[in-house]
Amino acid sequence: MSGAAPLPVLRLPPDLARAEALGWLTGTIAGPVLRRPLGRLWWLAVGLSLAGCLLLAVSVAWLFLRGTGIWGLNSSNVWGFAVANYVWWIGIGNAGTLISCLLLLTRQHWRASINRYAETMTLVAAAIAGLFPILHLGRPWLFYWLVPYPNVMDLWPQWRSALVWDLFAIAGYLTFSLLFWYTGLIPDLASLRDRARSRFGRLAYGLFALGWRGAARHWQAHDLFYRAMAALGIPLVISVHSVVGLDFANAIAPGWNESIFPPYFVVGAMYSGFAMVVTLAVPIRRFLGLEALITLRHFDAIGKILVLGSLVMAATYLTEWFTAWYGGATADRQLVAYRLTGGGAAVYWAMLVCNVALAQILWWPRARRSPWTVFAIAGGINIGMWLERVLIVTDSLSRSHLPSQWRDFVPTFWDWALLAGSLSLFAFVMLVLLRFLPAVSMHESRTLLPPAMPPGGRAPAGAVP
Amino acid sequence: MSGGTSSGAGGAAARMDRRTVLKLAGGAALLPAVACSPPREQIVPYVDMPEGLVPGRPRHYATALPLTGYGAPVVVESHQGRPTKVEGNARHPASGGATDAFAQAAVLSLYDPDRARAPVWRGAPGGAGEIRSWDGFLGALEGRRAAWDSTGGAGLRLLTTPVCSPTLAAQIAALLRRYPAARWDVWEPVNDDNALQGAIQAFGRPLQVLPHLAAARCVLALDADPLGPGPQQVALARDFAAARPGGKQPRDGQATARLYAVEAAMSLTGAAADHRLALHPADIPAFAAALAAELGAVPGAGMDAARGAAPQGAHARRFLAAVAEDLRAAGPAALALAGRTQPPEVHALAHCINDRLGAIGRTLSLVEPIRGGPALVAPSIAALAADLAAGQVSDLVILGGNPAYDAPADLRLAAHLPAVPFSIRLSPWADETAMLCRWHLPEHHPLETWSDAQSVDGRIGLVQPLIRPLFDSRSAHELLAALAGDPAATGHDILRAHWRERQGGGPSAFEDWWIAALRDGVLPGMAAIPVRPPAAVPPPAVAQPGTGDRAAPGFALLFRPDPALWDGRFAGNAWLQELPEPFSKLTWGNALQLAPGDAAALALDEGDLARVEADGAVLELPVVHAPGQAGGVAVVHLGHGRRHAGPVGTGRGVDAYPLRRSASPWRRDGVRLSAAGGRQLLARTQSHFRQHGRDIVREIDLAALARMPAGTDSLPASLYPEPPLPPGPQAWGMVIDQSACIGCNACVTACQAENNIPVVGPEEVALGRTMHWLRIDTYLAPPDGAAGGDGAAGGDRPLFQPVPCMQCEKAPCEPVCPVAASVHTQAGLNAQVYNRCVGTRDCQSTCPYQVRRFNFRDYAAGQAYANLGDPLYRAQRNPNVSVRPRGVMEKCTYCVQRISAAGREAEAAGRPLRDGAVVTACQAACPTGAIAFGDLRDPAAEVVRRKALPHNYALLGDLGTRPRTTYLARLRHSNPVLAADRTGGAEREGEG
Repeated sequence: MSGAAPLPVLRLPPDLARAEALGWLTGTIAGPVLRRPLGRLWWLAVGLSLAGCLLLAVSVAWLFLRGTGIWGLNSSNVWGFAVANYVWWIGIGNAGTLISCLLLLTRQHWRASINRYAETMTLVAAAIAGLFPILHLGRPWLFYWLVPYPNVMDLWPQWRSALVWDLFAIAGYLTFSLLFWYTGLIPDLASLRDRARSRFGRLAYGLFALGWRGAARHWQAHDLFYRAMAALGIPLVISVHSVVGLDFANAIAPGWNESIFPPYFVVGAMYSGFAMVVTLAVPIRRFLGLEALITLRHFDAIGKILVLGSLVMAATYLTEWFTAWYGGATADRQLVAYRLTGGGAAVYWAMLVCNVALAQILWWPRARRSPWTVFAIAGGINIGMWLERVLIVTDSLSRSHLPSQWRDFVPTFWDWALLAGSLSLFAFVMLVLLRFLPAVSMHESRTLLPPAMPPGGRAPAGAVP
Repeated sequence: MSGGTSSGAGGAAARMDRRTVLKLAGGAALLPAVACSPPREQIVPYVDMPEGLVPGRPRHYATALPLTGYGAPVVVESHQGRPTKVEGNARHPASGGATDAFAQAAVLSLYDPDRARAPVWRGAPGGAGEIRSWDGFLGALEGRRAAWDSTGGAGLRLLTTPVCSPTLAAQIAALLRRYPAARWDVWEPVNDDNALQGAIQAFGRPLQVLPHLAAARCVLALDADPLGPGPQQVALARDFAAARPGGKQPRDGQATARLYAVEAAMSLTGAAADHRLALHPADIPAFAAALAAELGAVPGAGMDAARGAAPQGAHARRFLAAVAEDLRAAGPAALALAGRTQPPEVHALAHCINDRLGAIGRTLSLVEPIRGGPALVAPSIAALAADLAAGQVSDLVILGGNPAYDAPADLRLAAHLPAVPFSIRLSPWADETAMLCRWHLPEHHPLETWSDAQSVDGRIGLVQPLIRPLFDSRSAHELLAALAGDPAATGHDILRAHWRERQGGGPSAFEDWWIAALRDGVLPGMAAIPVRPPAAVPPPAVAQPGTGDRAAPGFALLFRPDPALWDGRFAGNAWLQELPEPFSKLTWGNALQLAPGDAAALALDEGDLARVEADGAVLELPVVHAPGQAGGVAVVHLGHGRRHAGPVGTGRGVDAYPLRRSASPWRRDGVRLSAAGGRQLLARTQSHFRQHGRDIVREIDLAALARMPAGTDSLPASLYPEPPLPPGPQAWGMVIDQSACIGCNACVTACQAENNIPVVGPEEVALGRTMHWLRIDTYLAPPDGAAGGDGAAGGDRPLFQPVPCMQCEKAPCEPVCPVAASVHTQAGLNAQVYNRCVGTRDCQSTCPYQVRRFNFRDYAAGQAYANLGDPLYRAQRNPNVSVRPRGVMEKCTYCVQRISAAGREAEAAGRPLRDGAVVTACQAACPTGAIAFGDLRDPAAEVVRRKALPHNYALLGDLGTRPRTTYLARLRHSNPVLAADRTGGAEREGEG
């Protein structure tokens, strides 16, 4: 894209022998995990996020006590923030798997520096996303009725419903994410076991390392399993968000009943997920001292992906508008007109700016290689994608076929509390996991070391393509 | 739904905790007081009396519910001594089986826990009272009676509403004979004084008009609202439907009535009219005078003056000419009706017009006033107020009404009441008047009362109780007997004694008559007898051209009875509080209705608080826009802002009575309007009234219908064509005739009563969470008088569309439910299995009609609004319909419990279900027969006949949902002369 020299994936300290380089790499990654003092900043962040978790607990308790009436829902807007948050979180939960699997299979080795925390992010986000469909229910304690379990009534779920597929998609995806993340973690857990200074650390890491000794047979089995999982993961990640799209597309509300929804949702998920990866990369790299591993090369690459994502999103929006006009249905046409010019148009335009316009800055290489610029843009995309989820849910329902039922959705305090609480929970779990588990895959990032480095020789600085 | 009946009980048992146990124990202790049991005396079921009571099987009893001095003939369904549902009395010509919303809601007020439970004595009126026994009251009364005996009752005044009970009227007459110095005064805030005075002007005596709309071919409503709320609504709406094409196959050459309305504020009659002219109220007398002159009904010199008084504006003049021409052509089949809000001259002019056209005796009869008591109520209450002010009243007995709240403000009745030494108030509720009287005596609810009542057509029916009185209350008959010195007489005995005397004959003949009268609810051959008065005399002073009061600055504030609360008497009824006003869809309060143009000029948006000032009196209330209202006019509904109406009614809306004056009860001129600053959240169920170019309410001109081929509304193309009817035992379907729907809301309340639909309260309505399974959508047709050019001409006509569940054959709600709670039955219903529902709400999000209703809160029990969770209210619930808990979706079921009951009955009798065996609650209540329901497999069914009509169509049919509920396009019988005006409007159809 630019004529500039390719950026290094790894910024090795100068004058480092290969043997030293391996140790340096492991030390850089394992250091923050095993370092005893936790730092005031970490405690502050944990405290804040715990306070947010308390808000989540209160809002969930209040929800169970008083029912979904505490939200801004009404007879037309029967779906609200809970569904929007669900779609948004599951979207974020897509990126880790895409980075890990898709980039692994396409041999994008630079991914090795970011895939671990992206997978962690995926796991946490998908788990949080899985909460929302249950909280959304009118009678959440009966959520298991969606599961085909043997019961005296011989009653199964209703298989035509996308919500049932959703249940399987989320459950399958969560299981996969957990296994994939854990599998990748095993060799690193063994490294931590070996480096841990406390007896508890050795025990704990040792327990989860499942007796990994780094034998060739271990590596062979690991590699085989890991690649097979990766091959499984790609269709899974696409199916998850396709099914989420079908939740909407199989309803005949204007603006929902569109065949573009499954791919549109997958792209949107990838887009918001990659944005979240960048959003997390900047603080992780800064506070865990991983500047040498997460380099400008990564920001550059993700920046390009974000540009691509924004273009696909723009194409999707244009397609939506075009099909609304070309399809000729009054309700669809008026919905587009309402979105662009109606009472809530400011939110729609803000969403377009965040999702389409903002990313165009990243055509400029200098912007892509400025972590804080990419961070700001990615933050904007995260907000824009959340707005998009909310608008998808509320616009169609509040401007449906019969004008007599047109009503606006006005979120209440408890709508916002649940969103803030879920963000806090995410932050809290991420803080804890990054504190006790390596943020970057140690064994995979070793592959980033220059292969041509002679044993005991000097690494040619920045020569890793 | 099916199998859901047990869910309520099961759910309650599961939630049983210590507090619930204590609550139930408390309820059980109260049980003897409130136990539901049939009255002690023999009452007679409606048709036949099966041997013994079959548990689970409701019985029906005929009775009547009083409203403003007329009895609405009804049949009440009773489950094991527990009245649960009101239906119309099909044997009574004034009902024909239909009811209005008031009658439907009566059963809720029976179980109102806020009802007075024991006599209360107040040492200081207005203060908290002391509970006394009836004996305590009777003892006090004895002392007063001794005084009356010595003075002949001087200082004794009896204040009632116009009396619908002949027995009560006879009792009062007897009391007055006994105490000749006493006087009987009458007050009714929504009265017909203007009409009676108009008759006095025209005929020299007060005569009442009984319109026969069915016989009319051309009807002009001069601010009259025959189809609007009130005691006449059911009878006249039925009559009107008979004169219209409606759901009947329009035959060639069949004469169809045409309805014109000239009015200031939109009424249900104006909405149903084929042509409507919005006129400032000051211009309506001039219009009437000019019309009378045009028709030659005003002889001599008056004619020229009247002609000159024609309203301004080209459209109004053309309208006048067209109406005159049409009325003249209809001749004796014409009918001009003047509204109670119009001055007596307009009524006199209407009499002249009808007389001139030969319509008297054809399209209307004149009868002596049907109700008991002084005919004119305004002079009556004024005389009482004068006596009160002069301190001449020592004893005051107030039966019914609520004069401390609704009497004209300038009479200052509420200020004088506390000074009366011995005042008795008999009413079921401790209302404003009760608070100011020494004695408040609890009165029976009409469903607990033995009485009789005259209906609007003068027919008399017996009133029999459905239930033993829930509280320690008595009826007006019993109080009257006590006043006359016979406190032991029961209402039953008083009624029988009255009728035994009137009927004569032997005891056994009387018993037969009695049984038949109770069974039928209507006495044979008792309709009011028409009188043939001399020729109508035109009023002395025909309105002058450009009438002076129009020139008064400021707005004309018009007072109208509330369509749901009437004069305020129903403010404590939660069903009626939550019943949407037909045009603004406002619930739980009133608003200042302004024409959109006026509102824009005053910069008052909907929901903005307006300040209404008239001679120092000030009201502040929110504004709603009223399309079709005349300019310079503001309208406010009476009956709101009650100060003592229980947890449900107190403080809802704004009381407009303080601005009402006895001299001009319906209109206050020179009212200043301004923005008060601030806004109020409006609890309305609909806020978008335009169709936005969508094909929602179809309207066709009657002339165009004849050219329409049948079956134009075909199914959308499909790759998988299916037979029109899937296999199954029955195929239930519904057709709603939008020409017949007058927007009266009776069906909405009937559905609520039948299906245990909870009330959600104003806050939830404002959030958009009403629970009504059946709603009436109001849309605006494009402007009518666009060519007229002046602001007052024409306006946007409202179109009503009742929307129940469409029961789609290809229901979008069914495939999306993950737990199979939304399923299709063999008979084609979209059933909702409440027990199975987990509350994903996906069904409602995909329903294009958005007819499903979600229990966001536990509206029916734990989170019920105000006192609606009181156990006493549970007695009203239909035992055949499950009560839905929180978190569950619910919807219209086509009254599946009625389908099931009829099916079981037919099966037991070994015969197939015949057409008409299943009548849904909405269908039964509808006075115009707008709703047809039946089996689409039955070729003889009414619903099948309607579906074959050329103007039958499916709402949003292009979505391919194949709804079983379809609509008949609204037919408009427009006048070709005036239709030219409409072309301008038709071009604007695409706007918005």
